[in-house]
Amino acid sequence: MGRFGNLLLSAILCGCTYTLVAIGYCLFFGVLDVVVFCCGDIAIFGAFSIIGAFTIIWSAGIFQAVPAIVAVLILLVVASILCAALGLITYRVSVKPFEKSSALMPLLSTIALGVVIKEVLGLIFQPVVNNIAKGVVRVDDPKTVVGGRNPQSMPQLIAAGGSTLTRNLIIIIVVALILLALFFFLNKTKLGLSMQAISQNKELALMTGVNVKSCIRWTFIIGGVLLAIGGFLLGNYQTILRFDGGTMYGTKGFAAAVVGGLKSTWGAVIGGMLLGFVEVFTAGLIPGGTKFQNVIAFIVVIIFIVFKPEGIIGEKVAEKV
Amino acid sequence: MMKKITAIALTVFMVTGLLLTGCGGSGGSGDGGGGKTVKLGFLSPITGANAAEGAAARNAFKLAIDQANESGDFDYTIEVIEIDDKSDPSTGVAGAQKIVSDPDVVAATGHWNSGVAEATIPVFKEAEIPMLIWGAIASDLTSKDNYPWITRSAPTDVQENVPLAKAVLDDMGYKKIFIISDTTSYGAGNSKAFKAELESRGMKEVGFEEVQEGTVDFHAILTKVKSSGADCVYWGGVVTEGSLLKNQMYEDKVDALFCGISGNYSEDFLKISPEASEGALVVKPGIVLESTDAGKKFIEDYEAAGFSEPIGAYTPYAYTAAEILLQALKECGDDVTPEKMRDAIKDGSFDGIMGTTTFDDIGQTELVAAYLNVVQDGKWTVYDDSEYADGTRTFPGK
Repeated sequence: MGRFGNLLLSAILCGCTYTLVAIGYCLFFGVLDVVVFCCGDIAIFGAFSIIGAFTIIWSAGIFQAVPAIVAVLILLVVASILCAALGLITYRVSVKPFEKSSALMPLLSTIALGVVIKEVLGLIFQPVVNNIAKGVVRVDDPKTVVGGRNPQSMPQLIAAGGSTLTRNLIIIIVVALILLALFFFLNKTKLGLSMQAISQNKELALMTGVNVKSCIRWTFIIGGVLLAIGGFLLGNYQTILRFDGGTMYGTKGFAAAVVGGLKSTWGAVIGGMLLGFVEVFTAGLIPGGTKFQNVIAFIVVIIFIVFKPEGIIGEKVAEKV
Repeated sequence: MMKKITAIALTVFMVTGLLLTGCGGSGGSGDGGGGKTVKLGFLSPITGANAAEGAAARNAFKLAIDQANESGDFDYTIEVIEIDDKSDPSTGVAGAQKIVSDPDVVAATGHWNSGVAEATIPVFKEAEIPMLIWGAIASDLTSKDNYPWITRSAPTDVQENVPLAKAVLDDMGYKKIFIISDTTSYGAGNSKAFKAELESRGMKEVGFEEVQEGTVDFHAILTKVKSSGADCVYWGGVVTEGSLLKNQMYEDKVDALFCGISGNYSEDFLKISPEASEGALVVKPGIVLESTDAGKKFIEDYEAAGFSEPIGAYTPYAYTAAEILLQALKECGDDVTPEKMRDAIKDGSFDGIMGTTTFDDIGQTELVAAYLNVVQDGKWTVYDDSEYADGTRTFPGK
């Protein structure tokens, strides 16, 4: 593969990681009209829960007994449950109490929650996981995770032992499958259609018999699962993760969502890819361009906000005066 | 009533505390040499977060002074005023003031923390007492403004580039260097220093990229590295991004050496897989003490003295600082003054356990003792003991 091919692959991968977070923003914004700012931190939490679950389940000797694909599925289920729970907690703690107040309140409270998630990961992840792993140890070679305020290495679960290219292609394919599943879910299932209905007009949806409350809860569960998978893919792509990595990741995801037009999942995909392509090609083609890659990426975002505030795929909202 | 008791108790504690520190400060006074004494100040964090390094450094410094007093080379007794700066600038300043207010003090050496050194430097300059920095490494502590009162026997972070460049460019013969650094002052200082090394050899880097702190994706830069034909990537930042860069060099099959300075020498670097970290070359300040006779003797003497703190990375530097001050004292003869000490330090050439120290025109040491480390099978290994040195393994890009 030539230089351009490598850049293209990097750009798509970079875009994939942003896309999944951006979709999280879109789902939450769609049903609630508020920005849940801790999406990046939830994704990192997902990745860390996979590192933790891997350590514990390995120490219990379960992984050695099952095929790799089963192991990965077990980990994904664990991380999904934890992230869905965290999604529900996010809703209960930092969104629902501010339902009646201005949209700025949940924005601020979810930023605060993101800081809490990040610091808790930094402080208690390592002792908690290591103590549980010590408790269940049944193998000769138990694993432990190292000091929490450091990067953690992600176990290589996708194409373990295979080439990096295979791994990267699998990541892209999985993201594409997730997008297809999401598209199917939003357009073909009752829950998905209800979510869209709420997104378009909450009062009308309520009147036509949509259970808005349960629908919102489901959105946070599905968003949590999606972010868990996002964290899993991100971790496998980067191979080592920092507990405070969610901030930048979340900001980029948010920017992608805004460029795409906050309410549209396809917009999020396009926004994520656009951001990924701008970043990677700035760094890869302009000599000395790397130090400007974030600057240029965010300039693109600002240009979109100025000239196309409704996003690439977004409807113009006419406010009645 | 309770308040009164608390107040009294507090006062008693504080007074006892003061008395105790007073005792500690005058510790080491001897009775030899006809009763005349010359005093040196020593500042380090003996309690607090950096206590292990600070206390070990204090031990080494006092070990050297005790050896000098016992040797009979001096017609007076050398006394140390030791100050615990607690890694805290204001505590450091109070300690510095205590040192400079003593009329017998002719020189001081201090500081593990650059922030504390920054705070006490004005005190020493104003009092015109020469201060030799033994352990703080921020590069701007020695400067034209602070010269000649402030000198430093520890190499700065930037100076570590000199031995690294020598190894990579002269000894290993790498020709096409791609420089990547972060945009912090640390990263910028390093890339500037390494570029200067290239220029002094009539070379030029084949590419230069700066990344923001916290960058996780280096794949785009690595396509540039590949197309530039570089055989060596110099990383001017620290381990956080360094390990990711090395990992992605492995993933993208970049056939080039990875090298960097001591900010990368960390167990964190080994969190990437052993295959990915293999062959990373990093320079670390100091010497392998066991490799020289003087170093071995230092370890023996230190252990024989029975200190409770083990030798730390900068303990030999504190010992070196003592060696410099002692040789400067000798040059001053019988009538030692701070001015004479200042000149003796800045113009002198001092033999010690790390090698021969001389100072440049801003009082920064020109001796940069450092040694190379390489990752071998997922572990940091001293380069000279590694399979890379004996030719069993070869670095990439060769």
